[in-house]
Amino acid sequence: MPVESPDAPVRGSSADGVGPAIRIAAAGEREADQDIARETVIELQDLSCYYGSFRAVRNVSLEVKKQQITALIGPSGCGKSTLIRTVNRMNDLVPGYRTEGKLLLDGQDLYGRGVDPVAVRRRVGMVFQKPNPFPKTVWENVAFGPRINGYKGNLNELVEHSLRRAALWDDVKDKLKQSGMALSGGQQQRLCIARTIAVEPEVILMDEPCSALDPRSTLQIEELMAELKRDYTIVIVTHNMQQAARASDTTVFMTMGDDRAGYVVEQAPTIEIFTNPKNQLTEDYVSGRFG
Amino acid sequence: MTDDQWPEAPRPTDVTVAPSEPGGLPPETRPAVVPPTHGSRTTYDREMAEVKDNVLRMGSLVEDQIRAAIAALVAHDAEAALQVIRDDWQINDLQRKATGMIAATIATQNPVARDLRFLLTLDHVSYELERMGDHAGSVAKQARKLAPFPPLKDYVRLPILGERVATLVHGIIRALVEVDEAAARRVAALDDEVDALYHQIFDEVLVLMRDDPANVDPGTRILFASHYLERIGDRVTNIAEDIVFLASGEVEDLNQ
Repeated sequence: MPVESPDAPVRGSSADGVGPAIRIAAAGEREADQDIARETVIELQDLSCYYGSFRAVRNVSLEVKKQQITALIGPSGCGKSTLIRTVNRMNDLVPGYRTEGKLLLDGQDLYGRGVDPVAVRRRVGMVFQKPNPFPKTVWENVAFGPRINGYKGNLNELVEHSLRRAALWDDVKDKLKQSGMALSGGQQQRLCIARTIAVEPEVILMDEPCSALDPRSTLQIEELMAELKRDYTIVIVTHNMQQAARASDTTVFMTMGDDRAGYVVEQAPTIEIFTNPKNQLTEDYVSGRFG
Repeated sequence: MTDDQWPEAPRPTDVTVAPSEPGGLPPETRPAVVPPTHGSRTTYDREMAEVKDNVLRMGSLVEDQIRAAIAALVAHDAEAALQVIRDDWQINDLQRKATGMIAATIATQNPVARDLRFLLTLDHVSYELERMGDHAGSVAKQARKLAPFPPLKDYVRLPILGERVATLVHGIIRALVEVDEAAARRVAALDDEVDALYHQIFDEVLVLMRDDPANVDPGTRILFASHYLERIGDRVTNIAEDIVFLASGEVEDLNQ
C-alpha cells in the first residue's frame, strides 16, 4: 500500500540543527570593515556653533575615523552644513560666526590660537553641492591648487594622476585645454574632486555633492568615493538617505530641538542605522516618517 | 506539563482575522503591528497593512485547516478530509499574493529599519504558513485513507496533538499581531511539549503494531499524521524566531 513519505527536513526542525536565515548577511563586508580599529582623524568635543546669538548646532561630540566615509543626514536646517563647513573653517568668512567646544584634526585644535585657516583648508578639502569649476581650462582647474602651494614636481603628471583618481581622465584627456565649464555636470563635479585631491588633503568634505547630478553621475561619484576612501577620510552631507545607506560606513543622524539648534541624535555603523536604529527619531527619519 | 499551562483554545469571537472590508481588518481588531510614529506615509502604511492582513488571514486559515483535518480523521469522514485537501489552494493563493505585494512594496517604497524587518518577516511567515497548510493537507490525506478502518485505540493521542498544534498556530499569529517577543518565546517553548507528545504517540503506536499486524496499516497512517503535526510545531518555532527578529533586529535560534 503506497504511503506518502515524510518531507525532507525543514529549516529549524529539531533534527537538522540549522539556525535561522540571517537576512542582513549582505552587510557582512561592511560589518567586517567596522571591526577594524581605526584612528580618529576628526574629533568634535562638545562643539556648539553660533551665528551671532543664534545657536545653530549644540553640544556635538563625535569622531570621524580614518579612511572611512561618514555620512551626515538629517532634516533641512539641522546644522549639517554648518557642522561640515566648520571643519575646514569655511564659516570664518561669515560675520558673527563662532564656535564653542573643541574641533580636533589629528589631535590639533583647528580653532586654536595661531592656526592658519588656509593651512586647515589644504588639509581638509571641500566639494560643494553645485559643481563650481574655475572658469579656466580643465588642466588649470586641477593645477591651480598645487601651483599656489608651490608644488615643485611635474605638474602634468600630478594633473593626470588627480584626474585618474577622480575617474575623469578618460573623459577629458583630449580636452585638457578646454574650459572646465564646458563639461557635463557629473564631469564638472569629478573635476572639482580632482581639484580637491590634487593638493593631497587628509580629509574630503562633501556637501550634497550629488544633488545636482543625474542618477548615473551620482552612482559614479559614489563609486569614486569608495575608491578614494583608501587614501582619504570622507565626510558627506546628504539629503538622499539611500545614498547614505549605499555609500557610507558610518552615519550620523542630526535633527533640531525646540530651540532650532541642531544636535546629534545617533551615530552608528550605517548598517545599524538602516536596519535597527536605537533611537525612535532615527527610525522615523530613515523610514521617511517625518515629524 | 499539565493541560492548564496551555493557552485557552480560541473562541470563535477571539479569532483576530477574518476576511474583512478592503483595506484590512475592522478597526476594533486592527492590530498595531506598525508602531505609532511621529509622521506617516499613507500609501506605504496602507500597503504594509494589506500585506499584514493577508498573512494574518493565512494564519487563520491554517488553524482552521488543522482542526478540520483532525475532525475529519476522528469522524472517519473521507469527504470532509477531501474538502480540507481541496481548500489548501486558498492558503497558497494568499501566499502568492503576499509575496507579490511584499516585492512591490520593497521595490517602490525603499523600506528600511523596522519597516524592512516587518516585510522580510511577513514574507517568511507567509512561506511557513503555506507549508503548514500543506502539512494540514497531508494530515487530511491520511484521514481519507484511515476512514475505512476501525478507530485504533481512539487514534491514541493524535486529536490532542492536533488541537495543541492548532493552538500554537493561533498563539504565534497573535504574538505576530502584537509583535510580542515574550509571547513568541513562550509559544516556541510549548513546541517542546508537542515534540514530547509526538514521541509518546510514536512509541504507543509501535507497541500497538507489534501486538497485532492488523494495526500496521492504520498505525502507519497515524504515525505520518502525527509527524506532519509535529512539523507544523517546528514551523511555529520558526515564526517565533521571525517575531524576535522583527521586534529586536536580532537573529536567534529558538530551537536550542
